[in-house]
Amino acid sequence: MTIMSRHVARLLLAPTWMVALAVMIKGYADTGDGFSAGIIASLGVLLQYLVVGTRETTQLLPVRYAREAAQFGLLIALLVTFIPVLWGDPILTHYPRPGESVTHLGTLELLTAVLFDVGVFLLVLGVATGVIDLIARSRERRPT
Amino acid sequence: MTLVLAFSIAVMFGAGAYLLLKHDLIRVVAGMVLISNAANLFIMSAGLSKGSAAIYPLPEDGSVSDPLVQAMTLTAIVISFGVSALLLSLVYRVYQTHRSVDIEQLAVAEEVETRQREEAVAEAEEEVPVAEEEEMALAERGANPVPVSVSESEDR
Amino acid sequence: MLTDHWNATLVLLVTALAAAPLTALAGFWRRTLATPVAIVTTAAAFAAALWGWAEGGPTLDAPWAPAWNLRLTFELDGLAALYSLLATGIGLAVVIYASRYIPLHLAHSERDQGDIVRFYGFLLLFMGAMVGLVMAQDLFLIFLFWDLTAISSYFLIGYDSEREDARASALMAFLITGISAVCFLIGALLLYSEYGTFALPDLMARTESSRLVTTAVALISAAALAKSAQAPLHFWLPRAMAAPTPVSAYLHSAAMVAAGVFLLGRVHPLLEKSDVVMNALVVIGFASMATGGCLALTRKVLKQLLAYSTISQYGYVVVMLGIGGADGAAAASFYVIAHALMKCALFLTAGAVTEATGQKALTGLGGLWRRMPLLAVGSGAAAAGLAALPLTAGFFKDELFFKAADHEGNPIRLLAVAGAALTFAYSWRFWGGIFAGPLQTEPKPLSIRLTAPVAVLGALVLLGGVWPHPFARLAEDAATVTAGTPVHIEVAYHLDSRVENVMAIAAIAVGLVLIFSRPLWQPALVAISTTTVRFGPERLYWAVLLGLNRLSDRMHRIEIHDLRGRVATILLPAGLLVGAGVAVTPGGGTFRIGSLSNGDLPEVLMLTVAALAAITAALARDHLSLALVLSGVGFSLAVVYALLGSPDVALVAVLIETIFALLFVGMLALLPREGDEAIAVITRDREQRLQADNRGRDAVLSAIAGGLAFIVAWGILSKPAPLESVITSHIRLAPVAHGKDIVTVILADFRGLDTMGEITVIGIAFLGIATYLRRWRTR
Repeated sequence: MTIMSRHVARLLLAPTWMVALAVMIKGYADTGDGFSAGIIASLGVLLQYLVVGTRETTQLLPVRYAREAAQFGLLIALLVTFIPVLWGDPILTHYPRPGESVTHLGTLELLTAVLFDVGVFLLVLGVATGVIDLIARSRERRPT
Repeated sequence: MTLVLAFSIAVMFGAGAYLLLKHDLIRVVAGMVLISNAANLFIMSAGLSKGSAAIYPLPEDGSVSDPLVQAMTLTAIVISFGVSALLLSLVYRVYQTHRSVDIEQLAVAEEVETRQREEAVAEAEEEVPVAEEEEMALAERGANPVPVSVSESEDR
Repeated sequence: MLTDHWNATLVLLVTALAAAPLTALAGFWRRTLATPVAIVTTAAAFAAALWGWAEGGPTLDAPWAPAWNLRLTFELDGLAALYSLLATGIGLAVVIYASRYIPLHLAHSERDQGDIVRFYGFLLLFMGAMVGLVMAQDLFLIFLFWDLTAISSYFLIGYDSEREDARASALMAFLITGISAVCFLIGALLLYSEYGTFALPDLMARTESSRLVTTAVALISAAALAKSAQAPLHFWLPRAMAAPTPVSAYLHSAAMVAAGVFLLGRVHPLLEKSDVVMNALVVIGFASMATGGCLALTRKVLKQLLAYSTISQYGYVVVMLGIGGADGAAAASFYVIAHALMKCALFLTAGAVTEATGQKALTGLGGLWRRMPLLAVGSGAAAAGLAALPLTAGFFKDELFFKAADHEGNPIRLLAVAGAALTFAYSWRFWGGIFAGPLQTEPKPLSIRLTAPVAVLGALVLLGGVWPHPFARLAEDAATVTAGTPVHIEVAYHLDSRVENVMAIAAIAVGLVLIFSRPLWQPALVAISTTTVRFGPERLYWAVLLGLNRLSDRMHRIEIHDLRGRVATILLPAGLLVGAGVAVTPGGGTFRIGSLSNGDLPEVLMLTVAALAAITAALARDHLSLALVLSGVGFSLAVVYALLGSPDVALVAVLIETIFALLFVGMLALLPREGDEAIAVITRDREQRLQADNRGRDAVLSAIAGGLAFIVAWGILSKPAPLESVITSHIRLAPVAHGKDIVTVILADFRGLDTMGEITVIGIAFLGIATYLRRWRTR
């Protein structure tokens, strides 16, 4: 790969993640949700693998925590699902409840539903990058 | 429109079924992908309410695409992605172990393995693990010690 | 809500449950911290238990998932005080002992010393589970902690996971106690279905003798008896000796096995409502006493001997609980305390002796009392206690036992004496075999941490013989809960010919006879024991396990034998069934062509592209073009979704299609390249051979499949579901749920459980992929 494409790939990483983040955060108000965001983010990572190579990517990005990210995401989603049970609400009750006012942070609305989506995002990101990493490593091992 | 949708679903399904019957595991996976594509399209078209996107603010005339089938299709797409990826890695693993992705060859290998396994099970049944103690007791009385497969490692 | 102030119940619960996570965290941070933290947390839990016993712990009652009618109810009553003192006190002794023993053990088997963190973690988890179990006042809570003990015992018994016998033993213990735990759950649910509550106090007040109650308590007792390793489910316990010695000591004296008799004691007022169950307990108890006692006399391996002795000792307790009443409950409670101290001391002795000499069986041991006097005295006290000699706490355990048995007629009296005599005989066999006689193996010097716990426990046994009142008070409190009425225990030495004394002397006399007549009965007993072990219930267990294994093999064979044939055999009947379904569905014949306007042209176009791409995929010559055409199908469908007014789906479809195409190609690169000359030749040969007979069949089959799919899809799409339904309310409610994108709101909120399930599937798929792709050893 040329130096040029390497640079472009690296430069593209941050914007990709920005887009992913935006897609996730705006998921409740506009097209997109945790899945799309997770896949967009992992496509950014995949680009690094393709252009920069496995070894450098693993040095550059913390892909070895992919599994942890996936577990953490699943955990968040599980917690959001089951914690309401603790005080007697049905599972997957989201807060603030209907009719209550929502705290805004800029245009970001603080909802537990968004947190749930963050869990989905982390899981998808972790799974996708994990699979990419596994395949890349298998390729490196493959006797040629 | 209904007819066109039904026809495309049928074609995808048929092509998927054709691939499923191939010898080559990669093609079998591709067949699965095609069939799930057909299923996704089917769920999607079950709503069949073409309108504007189901995002507020909604249009005045109220013609909104059915959001429920969209949500379901989304779920289905993601799951079929996970399953296809799993199948692919399974194929890879099969290739690693058997150096082949051809079903006929695999069936032969499988047959051989199953036979060996059954023999091993039959053997294991002969050697129901007996505690060290029984072995000692039997040996004491001059009988042949029972073959022991598990408690050997006890001695150190 | 929780009560306002911290009370003993809460303190004990929190300290006991926090011990395992604290130790594990400390251990992962700095390995050297694990031991001190384990000792300190266990000591704290013990102190809390002592405090709780002195103060009395009030009821702790908090709602827990009221939607499911569950409550967290704990109370530190007398019974809970007894067992939590044992769990934490014996736990402390075991932890101190293990802090020396486990590093040696790990060094022997050349394992990483860091593994000790895992040991402490599971041992203390076990302790926490026991403390929670004994304080729980709700059958469902009891079940939870019950299973937690089973899980931690599984990991402890299988601690030497590199040894096959350890794994098999752990699995056996887990299966026996786990399956019987399901019996417990069924029993609890039976009671719940009848009385609408899991709360024990309510159940005790409301249940009356009926067939349902009998069934329920029989199931519950079955679980308890399996856990206490009573005949005929006793065989897992000797196997569980594969565990490191501290685990065995803990399991036998204060945790796993004790949990069984604890449960019987806890639900005893319910048991008393069924005579059948009470009588069955007496029978099973005596059967276990006989089995355990006789087999203990034939064992040579120290831990095996002790394991069978435990079976027999808990047989005593079960008999006493089966006799019931104030005397039975009192005797059972006192017995559990005394037995815990002694059995723990004896196990720790066995471990220490093996560590010092390398010998595991009695045959290589003897005459050690000169070399290890402290250990000899400590374990001597414990063995004397087990044999019920005067001046030990053990004397009173038998005294109370005889007192309870005395009311039950001559057969029970005789059996009680016989059981005690057996105990006397194997106690001597154990202690005498190690410490008396000529010296066989020269021992290595031992760490004080391996001998001191034995000495302390032995001293407690002697203390209980001289000043039994603290033990008696503890037993009294526990027996009060078990019997349901206030119980008074009087322990003292009486130098008269009352019936208990006569029975005790008779037991000792018979025991002495047994010891001296050993050559007479030994061969016969060994023969009997060999036969029972070979044809006993354990044989059945293995037969069932292997049978299941074979069944699974057979299924596997049927399924996997010919994948392609199977696909065809599934496709064909499924297609026929669907066709039949369509044919008989009323109104199944209404097909609408649907309107087609100019605006629909893009969709029609893209659908045609997708269909053509699918056909091309079916005919693709090589893998790479297959992958490309496949993603062509996906992308054209994504466009269709976008045109149908679903941007969310289109976005996800495009993204997934992209990543999947790349993954597919990446995976192809791992497989043999079709361009390779040799492979290409072989493939072509095979194809030519197989094509002739198969291509036609495949084409017909897939045409049928496609045709049926067409009929079904067309039939269903002709009758779209009415929009006026749940969808309208989804659309209306989305703003109420603070969302604008209705699809996302449905995914995250209205049908969030679907999403939950979906991401779980993805997680599991990832686990599978990781397992397949990870580096592994090739055979």
